[in-house]
Amino acid sequence: MRKCFKCSQKAQVYLPQHRLSLCKDHYLEWFDNRVEKTIKEFKMFKKEDKILVAVSGGKDSLSLWKALTNLGYQADGFYINLGIGEYSETSEKLTTKFSEKIGRPLYKISLKQEIMPIPEIKKHDSRPACSVCGMVKRYYMNKFAKDNGYKIIATGHNLDDEAAVLFSNTLNWSIKYLKRQYPVLPEEDGFIRKVKPLCKISEKESAMYAVLSGIEYIEEECPFSEGATSIDYKVFLSQLEEKSPGTKLRFYSEFLRKMYPILQKSEEKPVLKPCKICGEPSINEICSVCNLKLKLKKQEERV
Amino acid sequence: MDLKVKYRGQEKILNFDKDKVKAKDVLKALGLSKDFAFVVKNGEIVDENETITQNDEVRVINAISGGKIS
Repeated sequence: MRKCFKCSQKAQVYLPQHRLSLCKDHYLEWFDNRVEKTIKEFKMFKKEDKILVAVSGGKDSLSLWKALTNLGYQADGFYINLGIGEYSETSEKLTTKFSEKIGRPLYKISLKQEIMPIPEIKKHDSRPACSVCGMVKRYYMNKFAKDNGYKIIATGHNLDDEAAVLFSNTLNWSIKYLKRQYPVLPEEDGFIRKVKPLCKISEKESAMYAVLSGIEYIEEECPFSEGATSIDYKVFLSQLEEKSPGTKLRFYSEFLRKMYPILQKSEEKPVLKPCKICGEPSINEICSVCNLKLKLKKQEERV
Repeated sequence: MDLKVKYRGQEKILNFDKDKVKAKDVLKALGLSKDFAFVVKNGEIVDENETITQNDEVRVINAISGGKIS
């Protein structure tokens, strides 16, 4: 039987990459401390800042919201109902319940009212659902935060998400994306600051925190994420991790430490301007969300 | 033995040809790695060598999620 490193009680959690066994209470404390350390390491925000946490009803965003609240940050929630049938209904219910439990406000918008539900958009747009979904989420997060006086958006991206994206971007040598792969995206050109305080916490660590904290989260996968390549990369990286604990954390942290500064030296940077229709930042005259709306409107008129 | 487990919001029955299994056997039966999955026995997270019997309340958590690559 493994014993807790801190109090010698029976350990519930063993973290191979840190060679650390912890009981429930000391694990929850370890997690909060790790989030706090990451916030400080990357100078994400301060105690007096108002933060908007993008919550989906999943383990990562709810664990993040809980940890930030425990640490004394002013973190409010923002939820987008994507209109994906029962999946969205359950995730909205769980997110609302969680907000009441921790006593922090939750702001909600519905894609059905803003544009149309993801399954409907999917019928009119050939891009993968995840790509459209990511685009609209980024757009409304930024817009809502700005309209409501928030200067920082925090998302629940974890170490596995970041390592899988890094792996994919490295396989393709996507310099444009590698240059942006940092846990803090600064406020610029109409975009507000975006931060990822769970970037050094693995997916399993985040799920264990949710379970041990009694957070009810949506365990089912989004029906549209089936077949996503990120899963393949995550599974591959986890095979390496099993053989050599710490691989994912090293891959990601060393990229940030050694490679990211080199990439920043190259000059190329896209020029952004306000979208002619909504005023949000865009590379083109009209931003991608307004473009999508125009396209959907045209198609509806044809029908 | 037949072992009832809760997995991703559903109840599943796993069949084993012995009466006592270890948590790692449960993960293996579901095709999951200990790197991203774990077993909760009677409300406590257990390590992969913990014994599981038919009387235990078992929940399996698969922490891996997808669809976020940008």
